[in-house]
Amino acid sequence: MEGKQSWMDRMDKKRDEIGEKLEKKEINLPIDLITGALFLLIGILTLLVMPGQVKVSDTDVVNGRAFPTLLMVVMMICSGIVLLKELYSVFIKKQPLTTKKVNLLIEVKALEILAILVLTYVICKVTDLFVIGAVFCSLGFLVYFRCKKKSYYAITVTVAVLIWVAFRFGLGVAF
Amino acid sequence: MLEFIGPALQHLFTLENFLWINLGVFIGSVFAAIPGLSVILCVILFLPFTYRMTAIPGMMFLLGIYCAGGYGGSVSAILINTPGTPHAAATMMDGHPLSQKGRTKAALKIALYASTFGGVFSALMLLFLGPQVAQVAAQLGTAEYFMVCLFGLTIIAGVSGKSMIKGIIAACIGLLISCIGADPMTSYDRFTFGVQRLYLGLDLAICLIGLFALVEVLAKAEKKPGQLILDSKKMNDNGKITKDEFKRMVRPTILSSIIGVLVGIIPGTGASEASWFSYDRAKAMSKHKEEFGHGSVEGIAAAESANNAVTGATLVPLLTMGIPGDGTVAIMLSALMINGLNPGLSLFTTQGDIMYAIMIGLIFVNLFMLLQGTFLTQLFAKVVSIPQEILTPIIVLFCFAGAYSVNKNYFDVGVALIFAVIAWLLRKLEMPPVPILLGMVLGNMTETNFRRALLISNGSPKIFVSSIYCIIFIVLTVLAVATLIRSKMKEGREGTKK
Repeated sequence: MEGKQSWMDRMDKKRDEIGEKLEKKEINLPIDLITGALFLLIGILTLLVMPGQVKVSDTDVVNGRAFPTLLMVVMMICSGIVLLKELYSVFIKKQPLTTKKVNLLIEVKALEILAILVLTYVICKVTDLFVIGAVFCSLGFLVYFRCKKKSYYAITVTVAVLIWVAFRFGLGVAF
Repeated sequence: MLEFIGPALQHLFTLENFLWINLGVFIGSVFAAIPGLSVILCVILFLPFTYRMTAIPGMMFLLGIYCAGGYGGSVSAILINTPGTPHAAATMMDGHPLSQKGRTKAALKIALYASTFGGVFSALMLLFLGPQVAQVAAQLGTAEYFMVCLFGLTIIAGVSGKSMIKGIIAACIGLLISCIGADPMTSYDRFTFGVQRLYLGLDLAICLIGLFALVEVLAKAEKKPGQLILDSKKMNDNGKITKDEFKRMVRPTILSSIIGVLVGIIPGTGASEASWFSYDRAKAMSKHKEEFGHGSVEGIAAAESANNAVTGATLVPLLTMGIPGDGTVAIMLSALMINGLNPGLSLFTTQGDIMYAIMIGLIFVNLFMLLQGTFLTQLFAKVVSIPQEILTPIIVLFCFAGAYSVNKNYFDVGVALIFAVIAWLLRKLEMPPVPILLGMVLGNMTETNFRRALLISNGSPKIFVSSIYCIIFIVLTVLAVATLIRSKMKEGREGTKK
């Protein structure tokens, strides 16, 4: 455990150093501008790919493209309103952009969690044995939370195995 | 109605059903008691379990979670001044102060009794209102149904987030996702991009695991690790409620139950709105206004009865028209439909025995909640302090196992992960996720009715204004939008003044 602790301590120290640097770094996201532009673009792209993705028959009175087209038109109008409202307030009313502060440290931590999730998924898929991914996931989160309590490791790994047992033998899910 | 009661009771009174009810109530209470875990998350995690069950035990299990979630949230609100669920925030106003006065058990008892009354009242309302509303719904044609869907989606998009327009965009995204897979009328594939697995569409449960459950795991990045400590000495009082306190509970409990039912029937509104509205009403009508905020018995009773009275009421539009009253019951719709139970009058006629069993079962759900609350509250209180280091991987593993078990492949787990990332990005843009869920739930029904109506009218959109019901729903939609815009503008003005 001594070796493990020092390994964890070293990693935590490194994480602290990076964390200190990132904690003060914040980005102001112009959320309304991004929302308007992003969903306008999604609407246009969906309409562009629609002929290739939605087959229709000449005899259809109302074909399979009608509803998605209507949706995309509504979405593009709404996105346009969001965009125009933002541009109007910036250029005509001379007000600042609607922004949201995004802390880089939080985003990096979210990426760490995502990495644990993706690795768990990959391990489960490659080994085709859920229990291995489950144990990795438990350990991964305990390391992420900087947990030093041995009892937590024992409890979490046991619960992970029990979840697999419940699904595998209780519900008959073969994984 | 009466001819179904006998067979319904026969279906309901089985050991299996009562076990599932109790398991649901237990899990719902535990989940709701833990701050940060919501009832919707719990229902999503356990939805895949119900895919293997028949309609009655499956729905009893989910309704057990749903109803107990209404009460469970109050446990942490009273004990540690942190609402387990958002709608328990109103309970916290008086529940925690009463606990600080050394009457924790009494506060929990008041919350439990009021919750049970609200829940049973709501279940009875569902039992009597459901068939009546279904009769009206049976008169609706395809065009009217499309307008009902539009009405439901507009309200939900409007009330779900800070911006109504962003809510509508989110609803459009949800509706578009529901278009992926086979065309409901021609069976041609749509938006599958050559991926064969997408031909059957995206399973609702899998998308929701990503949208609501895994995204909460990513959100752990925003919170500093810490453990909520519960002082066990807090629960050493005798929990006695005096006769005078009982008397004072009666009026706010009844009135709030009525408010809860009325709020619950309206799509998009939910337990939070009902509990705050009832709390304010109870305060305004009380002879002991000065006690509110300092441990008022009436305050706890009002908030708790209202949020549980919503539970049965939200099922009225769901079971009669397929329009979910809130996000949680929207998920239950898939549990119903997987058993071939499609909302509408036929549920109350041809499948009346099953439907009445579920509605009567809701009364028993609340009674078992009372029973478990009486004997297991100490245990529910202890789970409040489960550390997130242990809880987080457990949630992830339930998500992964649940997503895999739906179709027994890892492709679905990947889809859930992609939805989690999308939900995380949408959160950054302050886009509400509930309209996406409602869009996905209502997508098929909205599109099918839209296209059928146009098919009947040979492509003429005049069909959407051709009947009195259509016009009523158009007027209601316009009124709802106008009211929402007005209230948002008022909020904006007040925000600027501050």
